[in-house]
Amino acid sequence: MKKRFITNVKIFFEGAILSYRALFRWLRPATYIASKILAPLTMMIFFVFIGAYASGNNDASFYVIGNALIFAASSGIFGVTMSIGGERWSGTLPYLFGSPANRMAIFVGRAFMHILDGMLGVFIGLGWGILLFGLDLSQTHLTPLLITILITTFSTAGLGLLMGCVGLITRNVMLVNNTVYFMMLLFSGANISLESLPKWMQVISNYIPLTRGITSTRLIVAGAGINEILPLLLEEFLIGIMFALVGFFLFSTFEKQAKKLGTLEIF
Amino acid sequence: MKKIKDTLRIIGMSFEIELRQNLTDGFVLFGIVIQPLIVAFMALWMLKDKGPDYAIFIVVGSAMTGLWTTLLFNGGNSIRGERWAGTLEPLVGAPSSLRIVVFGKVLANVTQSLLSMIGCYTFISLIMGYPLTLSRPIFFLISILLTVFAFVSFGVIIASLFILIPDFQRLQNTLEFPVYILCGFLFPIALLPGWTTPISYILSPYWAARALHGSARGMLEINHIFISWVLLIIFSAIYIVGSGALYRLVLKRARVDATLNTTG
Repeated sequence: MKKRFITNVKIFFEGAILSYRALFRWLRPATYIASKILAPLTMMIFFVFIGAYASGNNDASFYVIGNALIFAASSGIFGVTMSIGGERWSGTLPYLFGSPANRMAIFVGRAFMHILDGMLGVFIGLGWGILLFGLDLSQTHLTPLLITILITTFSTAGLGLLMGCVGLITRNVMLVNNTVYFMMLLFSGANISLESLPKWMQVISNYIPLTRGITSTRLIVAGAGINEILPLLLEEFLIGIMFALVGFFLFSTFEKQAKKLGTLEIF
Repeated sequence: MKKIKDTLRIIGMSFEIELRQNLTDGFVLFGIVIQPLIVAFMALWMLKDKGPDYAIFIVVGSAMTGLWTTLLFNGGNSIRGERWAGTLEPLVGAPSSLRIVVFGKVLANVTQSLLSMIGCYTFISLIMGYPLTLSRPIFFLISILLTVFAFVSFGVIIASLFILIPDFQRLQNTLEFPVYILCGFLFPIALLPGWTTPISYILSPYWAARALHGSARGMLEINHIFISWVLLIIFSAIYIVGSGALYRLVLKRARVDATLNTTG
């Protein structure tokens, strides 16, 4: 029992690190920095300026926080999806499915590094907000902020795990990823206050990751403590778990189907 | 006369092949339909207090994001895609000009991305129910034609840069939003710091956005629209002349240095 546990932990971390390295190793540091630091900044500037134009005032904090948290979704959706879906493209899926390794350890391990990466992205986003748009964190309690960022990144990675499974059965994984990512921009309240959205959109917002993470972060920056945001964070965490479990169920189903029908590498 | 006919035939053929290839590429669908519609919806919601006449501004601005994204990702990859497919050497070795072939491919990308304008118009007018009227339809039509020409000229330059400067391709994702920002697609560049204005002025998409917004909303004097057209033509001419030198460099890499197929 203990030996199996240790093996699974080893598989989890080795899989996490190897899949992350496999995804980014071909990149030069400059490319990684450009996509990690510059690209999100330009997107933030775009929405902050539309927001400033719309509201006619210079209070950018609403948009800065929303777009900083979106960076979590960037790692959670694109990174995790490519880590799982990429197994098929790189021809390693048969080895993965042929191995006796614990599937949950393999599956969830693919998200681990991207959660850390996503957190770094959010910090960078908030840093840009402070530097360029004067985001005021003087009222902010740091520990609740850290917990919120961690949970939000986790929940978006949960969605990424699900999308990674979709990536195993579709040819157009970038179409799916980009669509989901832009949908998150729309539905999560990153750039539009949730109350102003139509009711049917609010219903969708209520069931996706990120929505509560963004709301919590805005509350924390305004001075709220952990007790005020705890219910939101619990719900955000549960949404992440739910998406990850659905993803794992699909992952297991695809494995069984692919083995049974011999469709493991059919695109 | 025969040369012109041959050139037009090459443009037509590469236009057709590019369109056919794009039909199988789901990301094209994202660039010309999904992303502009989502951007349009967000902009519509964010700018709704500006009044209903802003709807046409959003249609034009959102569609221009689709134009630029398609140009950057598909047009920019015009030569790189051939390299990945292993067809770049035969293309370079053929007697037809590589620049003309790329022109046809980029023209196909830009033309199909005009669908984003139709998509945004339909979405905002029919689905969201905003009244949409073009203040100066003839001027708008001319502006669209000049915009297509300017974007294609710009795209021909970009496609060569993707081959000549490997780091340019690596920054592809980073180049998407700066053009939205600097060219005033969805907010006036007057909101930006003053030092960015000269950068906007040397980008033809800025003049395209100015002409299209100005003629769609009627907020620009006719002489200002003319100025935008003239600048669009001047920049397009500069890009086309400049692209000649760049494509000679690409061919040199292929025939003299033999480094065409070397990815950076």
